Amino acid sequence: MATEATTSRPHRSSTLRAVVIPEGSSPGLLEVPRKDSGNTGFAAEDQFDVYSAYKRLLSDELLPMPVAAILVLTEVVANSKAATMYELVEGLKDAAAVLKSKYSNQVGLTAGCDLFIRYVTTARQDFSRDFSHHKAELVRQGKEYAETAQSSRDKIAEHAFGFIKEDAILTHSYSRVVMQALLKANRRKRISVYVTEARPKGLGMKTYNALTAAGIPCTVILDSAVAYCMDKVDLVLVGSEAVVESGGLINAVGTLSMAIIAKAANKPLYALAESYKFLRFFPLSQYDLPIDNSSLLTLPSQKPTAPRHSLTLASPMTPRAVQSQSVPEMSQEQIAKNPEVDYTRPDLITLVFSDVGILTPDGISSFLVGVFAD
Amino acid sequence: MRDTVIKDKGTQKHVEAFVSKLRRRQVVGSHATAIETVLLLRQVISTARFNTLDQLVTIVKAAGRQIIEAQPKEHSIGNIVRKVLRLIREEFNAAATAAGATSSPTSTPPARATQLPPPTPASAVVPPSSSLSNFVLLGHPRSNQSLAVEQASQGHPRQGSGHGEHSEEFKAMSVKPALIDAIKDVIDELETVYDGVAKNARDHIHADEIILTIGKSRTVEAFLKSAAHYRKFTVIVAETAPSFSGRDMAQSLSASGISTVLVPDSCVYALMSRVNKVILGAHAVLANGGVFAISGSLIAAAAARAHATPVVICTGQYKFTPLWNLYHEYAAVDFGDPAQVLAAKDSEGIDMDKVDIVNPYYDYVKPELVDVLITNEGDHPPSYVYRVVKEAYDEEDSDL
Repeated sequence: MATEATTSRPHRSSTLRAVVIPEGSSPGLLEVPRKDSGNTGFAAEDQFDVYSAYKRLLSDELLPMPVAAILVLTEVVANSKAATMYELVEGLKDAAAVLKSKYSNQVGLTAGCDLFIRYVTTARQDFSRDFSHHKAELVRQGKEYAETAQSSRDKIAEHAFGFIKEDAILTHSYSRVVMQALLKANRRKRISVYVTEARPKGLGMKTYNALTAAGIPCTVILDSAVAYCMDKVDLVLVGSEAVVESGGLINAVGTLSMAIIAKAANKPLYALAESYKFLRFFPLSQYDLPIDNSSLLTLPSQKPTAPRHSLTLASPMTPRAVQSQSVPEMSQEQIAKNPEVDYTRPDLITLVFSDVGILTPDGISSFLVGVFAD
Repeated sequence: MRDTVIKDKGTQKHVEAFVSKLRRRQVVGSHATAIETVLLLRQVISTARFNTLDQLVTIVKAAGRQIIEAQPKEHSIGNIVRKVLRLIREEFNAAATAAGATSSPTSTPPARATQLPPPTPASAVVPPSSSLSNFVLLGHPRSNQSLAVEQASQGHPRQGSGHGEHSEEFKAMSVKPALIDAIKDVIDELETVYDGVAKNARDHIHADEIILTIGKSRTVEAFLKSAAHYRKFTVIVAETAPSFSGRDMAQSLSASGISTVLVPDSCVYALMSRVNKVILGAHAVLANGGVFAISGSLIAAAAARAHATPVVICTGQYKFTPLWNLYHEYAAVDFGDPAQVLAAKDSEGIDMDKVDIVNPYYDYVKPELVDVLITNEGDHPPSYVYRVVKEAYDEEDSDL
């Protein structure tokens, strides 16, 4: 999903972040104060500051998180003084750990770091040359990949194109790869789109604006209206933040409920994911994700003392005028207790379109085994 | 344009004859068309004159396209063309490697040039197979063998263009005998495909089971007869209107000593509670694991799902098609003669202007309704079909 580059980033540095990460919950892991770059304390490769480099890369809106992670690691390699493979890989692992410690949602970051580190450990070394030459080659390969990675969305849009007839399509929130697929389909087919508002970030509006500008009939629906809408759509397209080994996907919260409803209505749900988002990870439930969730969905420690006036106000008995004025909104703290992403099980996904081809959810694990297994 | 590609007049005539046979439906069924196609392609190749890989590929593709256009719903034609194209590339690759190996001891510079991609300073340092995007695409190289495969797959496009320049390195025409041999293997495989599917039949059918099938699939027929050598079981055959091919099937099965029950199509659901297994044939298998099979198959599969009865598809692997979304196309199910449903002599007193008669020939059975596909090369779950397809054909041929 769009989460990575375009959206969540503004929040990262805002107050929301401070709430999501409770201070002292795991002091070693989460460095709460990060005034500014330059003094990250334990920059892995002595002088090189991974975190600020990563932030700098992510300021490019178009750069997806995993690719940014790969680019940061190439910089780590370029700055590394390591003289052996072991040192180099350890340096990369340290750098990845530093980066991960900065974010509560490490999904995209982990996918990129794991891929590059895996590549470095398996790349064949030309022993006739010295090690610095090999490092330069690794850097070159990483950068080259980052460039080709941009084209993967075209391929995915191409795959999706064959599955879209003159359809009504439901999508969730904002995803660059879904946008590209929809815009491509619009060139040759008459499509119409329903998009969820996707509270609390409201990214559905971004999708709406972009699609309307392209002349695609588009309607924003409430997150709670997905089930109501489902009978009117022919297929569901969602992006993803990561695709995991089970074949399921991690995406902006609300995807799971959309997938369950689509399954119940017997509508196909296609996930669009670039191959660098494939993550070697096997979650068994929502609470297994590589995300700091210690503060999510927490209940107050004691019974609330004040009368629950919010409840009475929101009840349908209340006169309309009063209701519209005084229904309290969710506070930032309350929003922060909610997850940003959820995990959609593979049995709810019809197919995954990626730049390495069209895959069944079962195919994801064999792909990951191809890359990661010894 | 076509006439210019296939130079040999006799061959072109054969192609056209086959095309008109297909149009007139004188050749029907995926197996018959597959065999005819491969025989024709063998002729096309043996009479073709070519200097480069690309030329031959163009010729074969042109012939293939003519046949496919004649009968676009016979997917086995396309599959065979793709298979032959893959063989052509393999043989050229092997020949190129051999040519490189024999001439490298003499260390002539042009020999190296055919082996290596155009020398850029970077790719001279690290072979192209070790780039990060290849790593993502192909997985990490575990052994020398997979390395060789990687390089071979890398080699396809490059060497294709390379041979235009270095055609004297090895004579392109010298590949022909090996290629014809390879095509012979395809023919043999097609001829033995029923035995191939049937060879493990006894592992799938147990004693005293009740099997339900529909239509007359030669693959299923061979499968059941093979199992009958080892077990006693009962087969319920649905008549399969409007072709009533189920009647022939029942006759054939009972003639070989299998206890057979012929039933009307309408009671498939009612009988399903007694059935242990549904075995169906296929017309084509899509990459998502969905199956085109004779109409009535979907009823049987849906009824089987309601009773949690396993659905088994018997099919040769040549029916696996690199297409995902044919089920979008209404016409993909093909249509038979409407007179089979309502003959003109029966239609007296019916205002035929107000009645549309439709006789769809195939059903699309969703992959969710299929439990396993038994092929001549092993048993696959429907979710695995896309992988078999990916391995069997070259990606560049998926659109012919």
